[in-house]
Amino acid sequence: MLHLVTNPIGVLALAKREIHRFFSVANQTIFPPLVSSALFMYIFGVAIGSRVNFSATGLTYLQFITPGLMAMHLISSSYENTSSSLFIGRWHNHIQEILLAPLSYIEMVLGLLAGGVARGILVCMGVWLISLFFTPSIIAHPIALLYFMLMVSVIFSCAGMMGALWAEDFGMLSMWNTYVIIPLALLGGVFHPLFMLPPALQIISHFNPIYYLVSGIRYSMTNVTDTPAMTCAIVALGMAGTIFLATVYLFKIGYKLRT
Amino acid sequence: MRNSELAISIKGLTKFYKDFQALDKISFEIKRGDFFAFLGPNGAGKTTTINVLTGLSNYQSGDVRVFGHDVTSEYLSSRRLIGLCAQESNFDPFLTIYQLLVYQAEYFGVTPWEAKRRANELLERFGLADKRNCKHRALSGGMKKRLLLCRALIHDPEILILDEPTSGCDLELKFLIWDYLTQLNKEGKTIFLTTHYMEEAEKLCKTIGIINNGKIVRIGDKKQILQDKSLQDVFLEITGIE
Repeated sequence: MLHLVTNPIGVLALAKREIHRFFSVANQTIFPPLVSSALFMYIFGVAIGSRVNFSATGLTYLQFITPGLMAMHLISSSYENTSSSLFIGRWHNHIQEILLAPLSYIEMVLGLLAGGVARGILVCMGVWLISLFFTPSIIAHPIALLYFMLMVSVIFSCAGMMGALWAEDFGMLSMWNTYVIIPLALLGGVFHPLFMLPPALQIISHFNPIYYLVSGIRYSMTNVTDTPAMTCAIVALGMAGTIFLATVYLFKIGYKLRT
Repeated sequence: MRNSELAISIKGLTKFYKDFQALDKISFEIKRGDFFAFLGPNGAGKTTTINVLTGLSNYQSGDVRVFGHDVTSEYLSSRRLIGLCAQESNFDPFLTIYQLLVYQAEYFGVTPWEAKRRANELLERFGLADKRNCKHRALSGGMKKRLLLCRALIHDPEILILDEPTSGCDLELKFLIWDYLTQLNKEGKTIFLTTHYMEEAEKLCKTIGIINNGKIVRIGDKKQILQDKSLQDVFLEITGIE
């Protein structure tokens, strides 16, 4: 059913173009999440966090929220990159440049995905570097971090492409991010551990898929987690595989791409 | 590329947009090396046919092949052979026109070195070399037309499909494009042209097809179709436009 990679030069070109695109508007794509992270770390971590008793986790509050902020910006950067690129491509109709090319549908998705993954990981690591100005931290499990960054960026890059295909205008484009992804990320433990919630909300949080992704990144960074890391890794892999195949399918049927 | 003498083969192509039938079982063939004009009033089905050929539109039934390759089941092979010069400019706003051409060539599997060489050559050929670092918004309408043509040619396609390439062009540019297309055809490229300018079709093409209301109403050798009449008279007579 699916053609695998038969045009590596084409996929690489598409990936290069996607990366070129977000670097050319770095003031909109790279620096804002770094600035907002620095502010979060200062206000919540330094000013307020120093008064929060967080000894139960074995971490300072700043050390706790840093992986949360990394996960949150990894999610939003990956999503925004592919959603804006593909939607603008549809809007200006230069998506035809890709649709006319001898790229299989899996290659089209891989090329677009590369931009989202690169931007997400770049911003995520940038947030970590910013955190070093506020608190010393070493990465507890670098390989696990790489795995979770890759999985999370694939999930939300694909979600961004699905959002861009579904949207008819810029309002619809930002709707998923504003009303679904960011709230779920915030409720998924960016700023709080699960045990701080009332028991009912703790149970509900386990149905929030983003909770496992945030937990996975926190485990990779600090070796602290509410949920076994293996559970988080399996959930992430399942989500990434499912959403990737769904995105390829939408390209194959030409959903809002072909008339 | 298969050793097919037919550049394009369409049999029983039917296409609906919801309830509207845009193409009604159209069939025709274009030989390798032909210069084919595809004429018809607005909304007749010209662009829809092009979109099906290039993979921009799905279709309900029919057999559509480019040099023997089915455009659905063998789309990777068929797309490699086509260069499309679209009706309206649709360029990536983030790229300079040079980057745009290089990326486009690479999407077709052209190596980066060769892509750069071809981009420079085409920009020079079409008088856009001094604009290579500009974005397309900085170009005039005529320059954008030239850029569309450069983009269509960047991967050296076997068949060039042109959707009204000279609409809105001044005479100088029109002649430049005509000369270039004639030269390409002499070099063996198959050319599929849609236009509303009858003199353009009459001057350039070897065969002519006329479509009206989604049906092919006349197709054949230019001399056969004209029979001492002007193309405009034949077109008006066939399409019933008064």
